[in-house]
Amino acid sequence: MELARLPISASQRGKLISAGYTSFSSLSSLSPSTLAQDLKISDNEALEILRVVSQGSRLDKPDGSHAIVNGAQTAWDMLHEEESLKCITTSCVDLDDILGGGIKCKEVTEIGGVPGIGKTQLGIQLAVNVQIPVNYGGLGGKAIYIDTEGSFMLERALQIAEACIEDMSGNSDFLQKDFQSCQVKAQPKDFLQNIFYFRVCSYTEQIAMINYLDKFISEHKDVNVVIIDSVTFHFRQDFDDLALRTRLLSGMALKLMKLAKKFSLAVVLLNQVTTKHTEGSFQLTLALGDSWSHSCTNRVILYWNGDERYAYIDKSPSLRSASAPYSVTGKGIRTATSKCKRIKIM
Amino acid sequence: MELLEDVQQNKQVLSTGCEGIDMLLQGGLCVGHLTELVGPSSSGKTQICLKVASRVATRYMGGVVFIDTGNSFSPLRIAHFINQIPDTIFKEVEQNILEKVMSQILCHSVFDIFAMLDVVHQLEYSLRSQVQTGADQVRLLIVDSISSLITPILGGSGPHGRALMISAGFLLKKLAHEHNLAVVVTNHMVGGEGGILKPALGESWKSIPHVRLLLSRDPGSSICHMSILKHSYMASGRAARFMI
Repeated sequence: MELARLPISASQRGKLISAGYTSFSSLSSLSPSTLAQDLKISDNEALEILRVVSQGSRLDKPDGSHAIVNGAQTAWDMLHEEESLKCITTSCVDLDDILGGGIKCKEVTEIGGVPGIGKTQLGIQLAVNVQIPVNYGGLGGKAIYIDTEGSFMLERALQIAEACIEDMSGNSDFLQKDFQSCQVKAQPKDFLQNIFYFRVCSYTEQIAMINYLDKFISEHKDVNVVIIDSVTFHFRQDFDDLALRTRLLSGMALKLMKLAKKFSLAVVLLNQVTTKHTEGSFQLTLALGDSWSHSCTNRVILYWNGDERYAYIDKSPSLRSASAPYSVTGKGIRTATSKCKRIKIM
Repeated sequence: MELLEDVQQNKQVLSTGCEGIDMLLQGGLCVGHLTELVGPSSSGKTQICLKVASRVATRYMGGVVFIDTGNSFSPLRIAHFINQIPDTIFKEVEQNILEKVMSQILCHSVFDIFAMLDVVHQLEYSLRSQVQTGADQVRLLIVDSISSLITPILGGSGPHGRALMISAGFLLKKLAHEHNLAVVVTNHMVGGEGGILKPALGESWKSIPHVRLLLSRDPGSSICHMSILKHSYMASGRAARFMI
């Protein structure tokens, strides 16, 4: 059954089959208007079906190229590509080390932890750090921040941006010989201008938002990071049908994967924790269940160890599991030092 | 009789490059079979896929097609595996070998079931039309993971999703049989009744793969366990251990 593998709706498929169109060849020579009359559908719909069919049937004919599968890449090419990919620094040396340089582009990274551990702080920090100009070793990109909980604090973003600029000009003293020429002082306001902020108030909005991102990013090519804070919030309430939730979540995860790959940007999902009952004891795990745990490339868990904050790599295809301390300061996420005075925010 | 001859000639086993698993499976992955790896998150499914891919590419000089749905294909890790294999000791040619081997591994990212079916169809047509020489023949097809493609379409909206799932399964099996490929798919676990984990995709998928292997990992260590859930000619329930 050739029609079964076409991405058209079930009702359209039903109409096609009952009208006697079961193979690609029977459809290939039709005009849209004839098909529209036969199936009693609109011309546009018929045109769409024919477009999909011609795409499908083109794949069946080998087009003379030697590639076994079109659009595939060899691992060798990918290795080189990966070497040239840049990472978004977290501003914490230890954390960057265990992450292999920072948050990787083209991957979906999930970060989870208990309340107050610094998930949102890390999110804002990444939104700022992605904008570090190329000659300072950054990406010089823009950020999309999707806020579901309403926890994005503008004042805090401003603070972090100011500290980031401070650090940059501090570094440039010994990095840049030609100090005068890069005196184009970045303004914290510019940093805030480059964060596209979306407030999402329900899970339908969240899904619609992610569907819309594809279009938005093709208009704003310089977006390098998408942060969703948090992916969980709306999915933890008002759901009676858990099977529906699983379907929606895995569909959403695939769309995010596609975005990450297509525009080579980093997707960072912040997640909450939940308790899980295993073998008579309660354990803290990330929310949204077992099937969700498969849907991201990397998984980082933030936890308290005594009164120090630690990050632990729970899952990654290329990195070994490791943990590293970090701290949240007035300037944002920084390397943990015992001398560093931790400032409690909010 | 003809079938037996066919089995002896074409249906070899591909070594996985990991002794424990090879011993468990009496040599490795069967060509012509659909092997399914089931396990919870971070139990080593992708690691085994990458390991097998690099092994098949080096030892058998066979092509590998990797269908990736989770951006989890890591070329760095592959390069690492290849460098570990002691066959490549000649330092000066190592880089050449690495390039040659890694060019054998094709990776394709797909994000919905239709794209996957297109890729598999395309593969089928090109395999059929090409006169294959022993060296460049595609030997292994990996889909990591099939469950993340199928979960969004399964259930709720009528029997269509199920039909797609079954047809995808049969297409993979047909490809494995006709073109002597080993096919590996990965599947994840969901909480079943009473909080006990069970493989996803339900009862009707259960009958599709020839071999089902269950992976698990001790929390906090890199030792993994593999046990046979289903096998066409070996008793189930045996287990092996390996390290990542």
